[in-house]
Amino acid sequence: MEERVARYGRREVLKRTGVLAAGIAAAPLIAACQTSTTTQKTGKVVVMTDPNEFGAEDVKAIEDATKLKLEVVKSDLTRLYAMYAAGNPPDLFRVQAAGVPQYISRKMVKNLQPYFAASKVLKPDDLAPSNNFYKWDGKVVGKGDLYGMVKDWSPDFTLFAYTKAFDEAGVKVPSDSAPLSYQELHDLATKVNRKSGGKRTYWGFVHSNNDQWIDRTAMNMLAEKGQSLYSADFSTANITGNAEAVKVFKYLYDLAAEGLQQSPVDPSPNWMGADFNNGQIAILQYGYWFSAMAESDTTKGKTVMLPAPTWSGTRRDPTMTATGWVMSAQTKDPDAAWAVFETYMGGAPAVTRAGSGWGVPGLKSLYAKMPTDTAFQKQVQKVLGDELKYSDGVLQFNPYIGEETFSTTWKKHLETALKGQISFDKMLSNIEADVNGAIADGRKIVGQ
Amino acid sequence: MVGTAHALERTAARPRSTWWRRRGTRRAVTFYAFISPWLIGFVALGAIPLLLALLMSFTNYDGLNLDYVRFVGADNYARAVNDPDTLHSMQRTLVFVGSTVTLGLVVQLGAALLLDAPVPGRGLFRTLFYLPYVVPVVAGAWIWKIFTDPNGGLLNALIGLVKPEFAMNWIVEQPTTVLVLFTVWALTGGGMVVFLAGLQGIPAELKEAAQIDGAGPVSVLRFITLPLLAPVILFQLVVSLIGAMQIIQQPLLLAPGLLGPGTLPPRDNYLYVVHAYHEIFVNQRFGYGAALLWILFLITLGLTLALVRSSRRWVHYEEAQ
Repeated sequence: MEERVARYGRREVLKRTGVLAAGIAAAPLIAACQTSTTTQKTGKVVVMTDPNEFGAEDVKAIEDATKLKLEVVKSDLTRLYAMYAAGNPPDLFRVQAAGVPQYISRKMVKNLQPYFAASKVLKPDDLAPSNNFYKWDGKVVGKGDLYGMVKDWSPDFTLFAYTKAFDEAGVKVPSDSAPLSYQELHDLATKVNRKSGGKRTYWGFVHSNNDQWIDRTAMNMLAEKGQSLYSADFSTANITGNAEAVKVFKYLYDLAAEGLQQSPVDPSPNWMGADFNNGQIAILQYGYWFSAMAESDTTKGKTVMLPAPTWSGTRRDPTMTATGWVMSAQTKDPDAAWAVFETYMGGAPAVTRAGSGWGVPGLKSLYAKMPTDTAFQKQVQKVLGDELKYSDGVLQFNPYIGEETFSTTWKKHLETALKGQISFDKMLSNIEADVNGAIADGRKIVGQ
Repeated sequence: MVGTAHALERTAARPRSTWWRRRGTRRAVTFYAFISPWLIGFVALGAIPLLLALLMSFTNYDGLNLDYVRFVGADNYARAVNDPDTLHSMQRTLVFVGSTVTLGLVVQLGAALLLDAPVPGRGLFRTLFYLPYVVPVVAGAWIWKIFTDPNGGLLNALIGLVKPEFAMNWIVEQPTTVLVLFTVWALTGGGMVVFLAGLQGIPAELKEAAQIDGAGPVSVLRFITLPLLAPVILFQLVVSLIGAMQIIQQPLLLAPGLLGPGTLPPRDNYLYVVHAYHEIFVNQRFGYGAALLWILFLITLGLTLALVRSSRRWVHYEEAQ
């Protein structure tokens, strides 16, 4: 009798637990299926961004100006995906240009063109060219409506030279008025590169942030000749069948193979900015924003900014990150989210950012606020002023793959090639096959 | 009137009272009330995610939004069989598991045997051996990265004392060796404590009897200690195996450069869960990644069952009195 009653209790508890579990499991799915986006106005705007670039002062300035409450969530791709899956994404979130076409084509972000058209703060004529990265008409980046805006940006292909490495090698630091060609840059890097007894003193020429942005570097080099890394409809990667692309990747491969650039077989435990600050990089490819931190105790007075190199003689120096904000298409109160967006991009926080030197402002009217106090800042501004003339271009990011798909595939096959396990040609065909596989999956998902 | 009301109350209360008075029901409710914190946690954080992951593994979900999710049948499972990265990562995982579990058990048991002996400073050594176990894995990885750094790491400096021109970038040239040693180093303390508890449960009179019969230390270890410790060895073997099959943090943390979604360990340390992680968060193949993880679950389950079945031959339990 006692045993029978106990069994009954266990079943009952399990049954109820099952109902509870099903309820919990269904909740996010039900929430995700809800299409209502503008019914609830809570007076609170959720912003997912990097707390290092969005501090308490920014929050206070925006809350004071908009009378709205801000909730800041730390940028985290995994969490962003989870919030989207649960039907509750942040109202505004930080993105980089590479992700924008995908977010737009998947209808995850809101078209802000009507808001920009009506804004008295963010006027279309005043927008810096880098904001074109937030345009996507379904076919190309840079055309169509605006879906977001850069918080600030830089022409990202400029160089920073550590003059001590040049002095030690007995090599003259290049002119900051005329750009080097990539071939000249390679030759120069060979002279200032220094490694002996397995110990690294200087990497000759470091770019692409541990190869994380290798596709962006290649895209810009190809764009000088009017070519793209992808086919016109983004359905395939054009590498092995494009002689120019093969040349570009051979150049980038050689930098790694010759030990001039950080690579999977000669890695740095750090990020390249820190390595430059530690005096371990002779030439670093980074944008204007890095000038705010390029002078460390080690590199102070020994750092010079140089123009972006050219692949085929055509000057071209767009941003490769275009870090900024977009608004979720599912935001419950787009007007409130826009008020926050507009204040951050054009209000007091934007003015403060412009004066900090951590990037070129997203509005041309704020360019004059960039700092020119020190000799280094003056030299940087001289180079930057010239580079801005060549920074109108965009990079054509593929809307069917993730931001890191290409670079991770590159790193995977680069390691085996550098270790001599596969040839350079095989490396390229492997990369192309993997990236095309990812593109095919992305296209299949959207029914193409 | 009052009496009638009382009678009605009694009548109404009787069934509940009877139900509650049943001893079995009371015991069952009490039991489930006590385990409910775990049960709720398991259901919410274990069973439901597992169920959702299983459902996801039959879809094309890419993590972005649910509008495009479609049922794809067993495609993701078929893909796993033909994916060279899956096969490579599984092969590397088995190498890692074999090395880590074997070496780990030997080191843990060895440390426990040494520190079970009544030697001076035993408490201090137990603490020192246990210390790496409480060091957070991120800090531990940095210690090993600095230790093996080619530009000033202690390891190369020590080898340099006897071989002056020695230079090796350990995490590039010997990535699996570093990973195995790091993992064993980090887990030795935990396993050592379990073995110590097991050793202290072995009756001293058995060892004394064997010694009186002329058994030396090796014979005592072989014929008394290890057989009686076999259930603990089995437990550690199973736990280590499951843990090693699922490892992800360590290879990512030991990878060159800073940690990010696109962090890629050296090819030799491209283990199975790292591959699943990359498929999910880099290639946006959430459905495929979920299928990979379910396959891993089945493989781990199979290995564990095989291990438990094999234990009938080498693990002996004391008969109940």
